[in-house]
Amino acid sequence: MELDFSPLLDSWGYLLGGLGITVLLAVLTVLCSIVLGMALSIGRIYGSAWLRIPIVFYIDTQRAIPVFVVLVWIYFAVPILTGWNFHPFWAALVALTLNASAYAAEIVRAGIESIRPGQVRAGLALGMSRAQIVRQVLLPQALVRMLPSFGSLLTHTIKDTAIAAVIAVPELMKRAETVVGQSYRPIEVFTTIMFVYFIILYPGSRLIERLYQRVAHLGRS
Amino acid sequence: MSADDPMLTSHQRRGADLPPVVVYEEVRKLFGDFVALDGVSIQVNQGEVMCLIGPSGSGKSTLLRCTNALEVVSSGRVIFEGKPLPSNETEARKIRQRMGMVFQNFELFPHKSTLDNVAIGPITVLGMKEGDARARAMKLLDKVGLTDKAGSFPSSLSGGQQQRVAIARALAMEPDVMLFDEPTSALDPETIGEVLNVMKQLAEEGMTMIVVTHEMTFARRVANWVVVFDHGKVVEQGPPEQIFDAPTCDRTRDFLGHLGWNG
Repeated sequence: MELDFSPLLDSWGYLLGGLGITVLLAVLTVLCSIVLGMALSIGRIYGSAWLRIPIVFYIDTQRAIPVFVVLVWIYFAVPILTGWNFHPFWAALVALTLNASAYAAEIVRAGIESIRPGQVRAGLALGMSRAQIVRQVLLPQALVRMLPSFGSLLTHTIKDTAIAAVIAVPELMKRAETVVGQSYRPIEVFTTIMFVYFIILYPGSRLIERLYQRVAHLGRS
Repeated sequence: MSADDPMLTSHQRRGADLPPVVVYEEVRKLFGDFVALDGVSIQVNQGEVMCLIGPSGSGKSTLLRCTNALEVVSSGRVIFEGKPLPSNETEARKIRQRMGMVFQNFELFPHKSTLDNVAIGPITVLGMKEGDARARAMKLLDKVGLTDKAGSFPSSLSGGQQQRVAIARALAMEPDVMLFDEPTSALDPETIGEVLNVMKQLAEEGMTMIVVTHEMTFARRVANWVVVFDHGKVVEQGPPEQIFDAPTCDRTRDFLGHLGWNG
C-alpha cells in the first residue's frame, strides 16, 4: 500500500482553520460551563429546596443523556418547536455547554465541600458574611483544588467538539472529512488528525498537572 | 491595666469593679441527645484572662463557640457587654467583629499571604482602605515577631508561626475580647512557647481573654481566673492559686492528677 500525504499538504491551511474552530469551541464551552457550573453548584449547596431540586434534576439529566443526542436535538428539534434557527457553531456551543456545565457543577461542588468547616468558622469569627466567605475564602481555594478536574473537563470537551461535525460545524473533524471526501485518502488524513488531537491534548494535560503542582499549596487549608 | 497592677489584691477578682465583658447565664447546649453544656453560669471580667480547663469533650470549646454565636445556645443566655447575643445573623456578625477568635488548627487562609491574612478582616468586614489595612497588619506582624514573613504563604510557615499570624489576624479587628480554642494543641512542643509568649504579652497589655487550654503551666501563671469543666458543667472555679494549689473539688484533683500536675 502506498501512502500519499499530499492532500494534507495541499489543504493544511484549511485544516488549521478547522483546528482553530475546534479550540475556540472548546475554550468557549469550558468558560461558559465554569460560570454556569459555579452558579449551579452554589445554588445546589446554599439554595433553598425550590432551587436545589430543579438544579439536581438538571445535573442528573444532563449526565444521563449523551451529548450527541442533546446536540442533534438542539439543532434539528428546537427550530421546529420554537421557530429559531441556530447557526451550527452556536448550536454546538449551547449543547456542549449544557452538558459540560453539569459536570462543572459537580466539580465545583466537590471543590467547595472538600474545604474543611474550620475555614468557614474562621471567616465567620472575623465577622464575614456567608457571601463574603464563599467569594473570598472558599471559591479561591476550591478553584485551585479543581484545577486537575477542570483540566480533564477541557480535554473531554476538546474531544467532544468532534461530534459537532454532524451538524456541519467546520471544525477539525468536519474539515478532515471534507478533505477525505475529495482525496479518498482516509488513512493518511484521519491518522494525521488523530495525531493532531494527541499532540494538543497530551502536553496540555501535562501542563495543567505541572501548573497544579506549583499552586496546590494555595488550596491546602 | 498591667499584670502587676498595685490595685489588685489576691482577694479581689480582676475587673470586679467594672461591668463584666461576658456573662453566661444557665447556658445549655444540646447536640441531638448529647448535652454539651449543662447549665453553665460564669462571668468574664474586663482585662481578665480566664482559662477553661477540663477533660476533652467536657464542653469548653462549645462554650467558646457559643460566646461569639458560632453555636446557638439551646437555652440560657450569653450576655456580651450588657446585651444578650442577638439571634439574627446580621446582628451576630457585628458582635463577632468585636471578638477575636484563635483556633486549634490556625485556620489561616492558604491562598493569601501572611500580610493579607491579617488585613482581610479590616478590608472585607470593616471596609478599610487596603493601604491602611496593610499598615495595620504590618504593625501586628511586628507585634508577633513575623514582619520578615509578611510576603510568605501559610504553607511555608511553622505551626507556631501560623498560630502567631492567626493571633495577629484576630487582633486586626481590634476586638474587645479574644477567644482562644486550644491554641497550642496542634503545635510541636518546641513552638508552643512562642505562641504562649505572645498570649502572655497580650494578657499583660490588659486584653480580656477566654482561653481553652491543656497548658496547665500557662493557666497557673497567666490566668486570673480558672474554670474547671466536666460533663458540660462547671465543677469548680476560682483564682489559679486555689485551683492548682488547693482545689476544693475531687473532680479537679482527679483531673490535675491525671495530667501529672503537682504544682
